[in-house]
Amino acid sequence: MTSFIDYLIGGVSNGAVIALMAIALVLIWRATRVVNFAQVGQAMFTTFVALTVQTLTGSWALALVVAMVAGAILGVIVQFLVLRPMRRADTSGAIIATFGVLIALQAAVGMIWGGDAQAYPQPFDNAGVVAFGRIWPISVYDFVVIGVTILLVIALSLLFTRTSIGLAMRASAFNPEVARLSGVRVSRVLTFGWALAGVVGAVAGVLVAPSSTVSPTTFDILLVFAFTAAVIGGLDSLVGAVALGVFAGLVISLVSGLSNSGNAPVVALVLLALSLITKPDGVFGHHKARAV
Amino acid sequence: MLSITDLTVSYGPVEALNGVTISVPRGEVTAVIGANGAGKSTLMRTLAGLVTPAAGQATLDGEIITRKRPEDIVRMGVALVPEGRSTIPELTVEENLRLGGLWRQKSDRRTTQAEVFDLFPVLAERQRMRADTLSGGERQQLAIGRALMSNPKCLLLDEPSLGLAPLIVTQILHLVRRLADETRIAVLLVEQNAVTALRMADTGVVLNLGRIVQTGPAPAIASDEKLRHAYLGY
Repeated sequence: MTSFIDYLIGGVSNGAVIALMAIALVLIWRATRVVNFAQVGQAMFTTFVALTVQTLTGSWALALVVAMVAGAILGVIVQFLVLRPMRRADTSGAIIATFGVLIALQAAVGMIWGGDAQAYPQPFDNAGVVAFGRIWPISVYDFVVIGVTILLVIALSLLFTRTSIGLAMRASAFNPEVARLSGVRVSRVLTFGWALAGVVGAVAGVLVAPSSTVSPTTFDILLVFAFTAAVIGGLDSLVGAVALGVFAGLVISLVSGLSNSGNAPVVALVLLALSLITKPDGVFGHHKARAV
Repeated sequence: MLSITDLTVSYGPVEALNGVTISVPRGEVTAVIGANGAGKSTLMRTLAGLVTPAAGQATLDGEIITRKRPEDIVRMGVALVPEGRSTIPELTVEENLRLGGLWRQKSDRRTTQAEVFDLFPVLAERQRMRADTLSGGERQQLAIGRALMSNPKCLLLDEPSLGLAPLIVTQILHLVRRLADETRIAVLLVEQNAVTALRMADTGVVLNLGRIVQTGPAPAIASDEKLRHAYLGY
């Protein structure tokens, strides 16, 4: 029983990172009906940028901020170079194009920083916290990861519910024509959405890096988990992305702990398939409202 | 005043509008009537910038609005309420309204919102409810309210009566009449429901297969039996 609870606790911070990556996927999907498979490639690129900054300055926080800025810029570049020219093509073409961007980014990272896995310095204490006479499977750094994720989720929900750009983003996602007729410059709003998703993905990358290593393909597995969480969550729903992201973290931790970590992606894909068969709109999807 | 001159729109080889010329003075309601496929919605969508015309132009108080983007046209003072209650069901009533004037100064937006609430008191009562909880008539009021939030000089209404009960249609069209009288907005209305539309309009325009067959005072159009039989089907 103790180990069961330990596995659950140990999965929370990993779940937080998956939730962030799932949010990035949902942000783009809601606005454009495109699943941006390049998101992990963008995150990996910005994590290498962060690693460079961290190596040069020694500052974890500065590296995080630089990665966020780079994530925004890279998101805008991907949208301008690849997605804008494909606006008139169907969305399946655009989705395949995002795969192309992923491969191009992996190649670019390999050329700039090399193809070997590199260690990302551990910014905070990574040892299990000691309390109530035992060592817990959660570290100070895990709390930092969870804290940053909670702050970012709160900031995003405030952005969407309290600001003009947030309302414009929601309106553009639900009904771009009515948004344009209301005077919203929808193409600018979309660009802002790509930048925002880039920032969220960049944070996920920097947060997860110390727990693994960084190489051009390290984050591919994160894509599998984040995509699963986003789809089961309904793809349209930020709440769904957060809830299922954290849930995925717990499941992975349990599966890895009770069997071995190689089984986690298999379990994720089985859950994905089951969800698509039984609840294609996702647990938090709201396609019902669109039909009214 | 909205002036439409020789407007021609083609979808491939099909001409949806052919040399359409209409003047819509401020404070007046101009009703464009015609059967399905006459080009009524194409006319509205072209004026709002969603469709690019092949020839001709439209101006608002002398400024050309054709071949501009929809988001710029609404800022110039022409607001369209598209067919089919164009509210966003996932947003609240207040958010739908705010959306209509998002680009304006907050204080201007507040003033206009108060005016919209005066005109449609039911929207003030339902401010915090999601738009998909409103009835059809209430949602049409919200759609018109959203368009008014841009403080337009010219309001384009595409089939506001579609799918509404006759009593509600009369109420909505009365409100449109009041709007034109009180705010001096130029209203261009397209309707399949010719009888009701002509009863409250100043000018009637009969459109058939993309061409104007008759323009004149609304009562004259309404009482022209030949016109009614030939183009309006009653």
